[in-house]
Amino acid sequence: MPDGSCLCGDIRFEYPRDAVGVTTACHCGQCRKQSGHVWAIAEVPKVQVSIEGAPCWYSSSPGTERGFCPRCGSVLFWRAEDEDLMSVSLGALDGPTSLKLESHIFVKDKGDYYEIADGLPQHAAFEEDADA
Amino acid sequence: MLEGRCMCGEVAFSVSGKVQGPSACHCGQCRKQSGHVWASAYAPESAIDIRGHVRWYEASPTAKRGFWPRCGSFLFWTAHDEDTMSFALGALESPTGIRLEKHIFTADKGDYYDIADGVPQK
Repeated sequence: MPDGSCLCGDIRFEYPRDAVGVTTACHCGQCRKQSGHVWAIAEVPKVQVSIEGAPCWYSSSPGTERGFCPRCGSVLFWRAEDEDLMSVSLGALDGPTSLKLESHIFVKDKGDYYEIADGLPQHAAFEEDADA
Repeated sequence: MLEGRCMCGEVAFSVSGKVQGPSACHCGQCRKQSGHVWASAYAPESAIDIRGHVRWYEASPTAKRGFWPRCGSFLFWTAHDEDTMSFALGALESPTGIRLEKHIFTADKGDYYDIADGVPQK
């Protein structure tokens, strides 16, 4: 069962391994600004993510929220009101994850100071969109 | 002059002069706080003008990490015994004119991704 925490440990989470949907690295402007580079996530059904502690939720756009730790600032969660899935930080996971990144999304908004060269599929925006 | 800001825009910063050491950090602390890998460069503290009240967190006795508590953007890192400060490359407005020069703390990298961009690993 993948489990993780923020940097200071105030917030912990876990979810069943078989609940994981896609895993992606997001290069959108919001993720780049909040994470400081690129944000990597696993999509998991909201009802299967167990969260201990009290994240601070910031509404970065209408109907969506980003959850982080108010004490250490760790970027942890993203969720939308009208979606059953939520995004959970891969960087926060402890120990072996048994997960592999599957694609890059929002590469149309990537920063100009790095290249994506790992051979994974790249999508201009969402993963269901055409390859970039 | 480089300009950066947090996700919600309430904290902005400017960096004047030469920046050094553009790097992607794979250490456990940066991975947890950023949610993946943290990219930064550094400059003298005197060359970085921060407009807004950043919240600082000390993950170790030697350094502190700055983020904006309204939107949770991870922006700065500085060691107590240094007069330089690292700032997030993801926060910068484009074009940055910067290229990553190295990956650091790769011994602590996550197991769910590969580093394949040819940039030196240390």
